[in-house]
Amino acid sequence: MTTPETPDTQETTPMTSNRKRWLMVGSLVAVLGALGLLVFTSFTDALVYFFTPTEIQDQSAKMADRKIRIGGMVQEGSLKRTSGTLQIRFLITDGQKDIPVFYDGVLPDLFREGQGVVAEGVWKPGETFIATTILAKHSEDYIPIEMSEEGIAKSKKSLLDSLK
Amino acid sequence: MGNGIEIGHFAALTALLVTLVQVFAALYGAQSRQPRWIRVARNSSFAACGLLTISSALLVAAFLNLDFSVLYVVKHASRDMPVFYLATAMWGGHEGSLLLWAWLLSLFIALAVWKHWKSHPVSMPWVMAISGALLIGFLLLVLFLSSPFERMIPARMDGRGLNPLLQDPGMALHPPFLYLGYVGFVVPYAFGMAALITGRVGEEWILATRRWALFAWGMLTTGIIFGANWAYYELGWGGYWAWDPVENASFMPWLTATAYMHSVMVQERTGTFKTWNLFLIITTFALSLLGTFLVRSGVLSSIHAFANDPGRGVYILIFMSILLIFSFGWLVKRGDALSTPVKMESFFCRESAFLFNNLFLLVAMITVLLGTLYPLAVETLSDAKVSVGAPYYNKVFVPLMLGLLLLMGIGPVIPWRRAGGRIFRTAFTIPLVVAIVLGIGIVLLFDVDHPYGVISVFLILFVAGALFKDFVMRIRQRRARESSTGTFAALFHLVRRNKRRYGGMITHLGILLMVMGFIGSGIFQEERNLLMEPGDTVSIGEWTLDLEAIEPVTGENWIATEARFNAQKGALSVLLKTQKRTYNEHSNPTTESAIHTSLMEDIYVVLGDEAGKGLWGVRIYRNPLVIWVWIGSLVMGVGVLLGLFEKRRLGSRR
Repeated sequence: MTTPETPDTQETTPMTSNRKRWLMVGSLVAVLGALGLLVFTSFTDALVYFFTPTEIQDQSAKMADRKIRIGGMVQEGSLKRTSGTLQIRFLITDGQKDIPVFYDGVLPDLFREGQGVVAEGVWKPGETFIATTILAKHSEDYIPIEMSEEGIAKSKKSLLDSLK
Repeated sequence: MGNGIEIGHFAALTALLVTLVQVFAALYGAQSRQPRWIRVARNSSFAACGLLTISSALLVAAFLNLDFSVLYVVKHASRDMPVFYLATAMWGGHEGSLLLWAWLLSLFIALAVWKHWKSHPVSMPWVMAISGALLIGFLLLVLFLSSPFERMIPARMDGRGLNPLLQDPGMALHPPFLYLGYVGFVVPYAFGMAALITGRVGEEWILATRRWALFAWGMLTTGIIFGANWAYYELGWGGYWAWDPVENASFMPWLTATAYMHSVMVQERTGTFKTWNLFLIITTFALSLLGTFLVRSGVLSSIHAFANDPGRGVYILIFMSILLIFSFGWLVKRGDALSTPVKMESFFCRESAFLFNNLFLLVAMITVLLGTLYPLAVETLSDAKVSVGAPYYNKVFVPLMLGLLLLMGIGPVIPWRRAGGRIFRTAFTIPLVVAIVLGIGIVLLFDVDHPYGVISVFLILFVAGALFKDFVMRIRQRRARESSTGTFAALFHLVRRNKRRYGGMITHLGILLMVMGFIGSGIFQEERNLLMEPGDTVSIGEWTLDLEAIEPVTGENWIATEARFNAQKGALSVLLKTQKRTYNEHSNPTTESAIHTSLMEDIYVVLGDEAGKGLWGVRIYRNPLVIWVWIGSLVMGVGVLLGLFEKRRLGSRR
C-alpha cells in the first residue's frame, strides 16, 4: 500500500508528509499486530483434539484434565439413566476399548445406542469422561467428522461379535 | 421412462464442445484481430447457455416424472414428496448442484456478453475466454467425475427421499441464492482479469461491473441469511450460526466481497488501491469456488472418503491451483502498471476509514479460513484430528465487528482526502453526546452488565446518530437551496439523486439492526435445561412457563409427542407447542421447536427425551433481540435493491 510520495511542493498542511506516512504505517501495523495477536491466542486456546477410546486408554495420564473430544459408537446395552434426572452414563467404544461417559443434559435427536457419537469434555483417568457437549448430528447420513469409516466398521463388527 | 436424461447428458456434452469453441475462437480472434472469430465466440456462449438450460430442465423433469431409473433421482427423491421439493431436489446432492452451478455460470456469461458486447470490445474476447475456461472446468467435473445423468438399471420402484429436516422452503432456496452469489462474482472477476491482460488497468472494469458485483453480494447475503434462518427455526438448538465449516465456506467470500464493495469506491475516487481491488476480486472468486468445493465435494464430512476418491479431489486441487497461479501471476506481471502515487492529504479522511475497514474484513476472512482449513490440513498431514470450536470465532469476531461498527459511523460521514478537526467536531459532537446520554440510560434500564454489551450499545447509538445527523444535514442543505420543498420531498430527491450512496446507508442501517440481534442473542442468551412433568412450572427472564400436557399427536405422514406450554409474561399469555416428530420413512425423530417471537426477545422451547417416571427433558432459551437479525437483513435487501437501480456511473471526479 505504501507507494512513493509525490513531491511535497504544495504541502501546506501542518501535517508533514513524513509524519503522515509514519502515522499511517504505524497505526496499520499496530492494529494488525493487535488483531494478529488476538487471532493467534484465541486459536491456540480453542483447538480441541480428537481421540478414540483406545488412544485415551493407552495414554491415559497425558489426556487427563484438558478439553478433548472422543468419538466412537454408543455401546449397545450400556446406556443408563439416573431416574428423575437428566444424567446419563454410557460407554463409547471403538471396537477395541471403551470409555465410560457421564453427561447431564438434554440429548440431541439422533443419539442412540449402536450409533456413532462424538462427545466433548474432560477425561478423569481411571474414572469417567465428563462430557459437556454431545454433538448433534444434522442428518441421518451424517457421520461425525472425526469418525473414520474404519472405526465405525470395526466397532460394528465387534458389537456383532459380542452378541455371539 | 423416456430418454430425457440421455438427451440432457448429450446437451451438456455438446455444451462442453461449444464452450471449447468459445474459448479458442475468442483467443484466436483477439490474437489475429478478426472480429468474425469473436462473433463466433459470442454465439457459442449463447449456445452453451441454451444447451445447459435444456440439460438442467431435463434433470428437473426426471425428478418431476419420478424417473427412478436415474441414479441421482433415486438418491434424492421419493414418491411421497410434494412437487415443490421434487423440483428443488435437483440440487439436493453434489452432482446436481454442480450442474446448477454450470448452468448459472453459462447464463451469467451469456448475459454479460450480451450486455457489454458494444461497450467493451477490447475486453470482450478475454472475458469470453476466461469465463469459458471456467465453464469448461465445471463441465468436465459434471460430465466425467460427478455425473447426475447416470442410469440405475434395473429401475427402482421408489427413491430414498429427502431428509425431512431439509423439506423447508428456506433450505430449498438456500443453495440457488448462494450460487447466484458465487457465480455472480465471475463477471467482475473476468473483467478484472481482462483488464490485467489487456493492460488497461484503470477504473473501467470496476465501473462496468459495479452492479454485477452488488447483485452477487446481495444474493450471497440472502443465501447466507436463508441458511441461518433455517438453522434457527428447524434445527432446534436455539441458535442460527454455529461456525460450522459449511457455514464458514459461504461466509469467507462474503467477507472479501464486502471489503471489495468498499475499496472499489476508493479507486473510483482517487485512482489508488488498484492492485488491492484486483487482489480482492480474485480472492473473492477463488473463495467462492473453494466454498462450493468444500461443501459439495464431501471433503468436510469425510476426508478419508475424499482422499480415497482421487479423481475428484485431485481434479479440484488442480482446478484451484491453475486459477490461483493464472490470476496472481498476471497481477504480479502487471505490478508496474498498477502502482499509483498516494494522494492522501491527511491521515484523517474517508480513505483511511476504508483502509481499516478492509484490514478488519481481511483479518476476519483469515480467521475463518484458518479455523476451517487447519483441521483439514492437520488431518491430512499428521492423521491427528482436531476441531476448532465456536469460542475461537466468537472471541475474535466480537472485537472485529465492534471495530467495523465504529468505522461504519465515521467513514461514510467524513470527506475524502482530508477531514480536519472542525469537520469531526460538527459531525460527531451531537452523536457522541446522544450516544453517551441514551447509552447510560439503556445500560441502566436493561441492566446490561457485559462489557461488550455496554460497548455495543454505545457504538450502535453513536453510528445511528452519526448517520441520522448526516441525513438531517443534507436535507437542510437541500431545503436551503430550494426553500419551497418540504422535508420529505427533500429526502426523496436526495435519495433519488444518489441511489448508490443512500442504498449503502440503508444497508448500513440494516447491519446496525443485525448487530443488535447478534449482540442480544449472542451475549445475553439465557438457557434452562431441566426435567418436567405436566403441571410443572419454570421461569426464564420475565416469563413463566407452565407445562400443561404431554401427549401423542399424529399428522399426515408423521407421529409425534407434543408438549403444550402456557407461557405468561404479565398479562400476556401464549400457547407454545413443541414436538418430537417421527416421519414415516425415517426412523430417527426430529425436533419441532416452539418459538414465541417479539421485538424484545424470543422464547424458544424444545422437547427432549423421556427420562422415566413421566419426566421429560426440556430445553428453554430466551434469545433477546433475535428478530432484529431478520428485520435487519430485510432492510439490507432494500438498500441493495436501491443500489441496483442506480444506473449512473459515479466516481472518476478527479
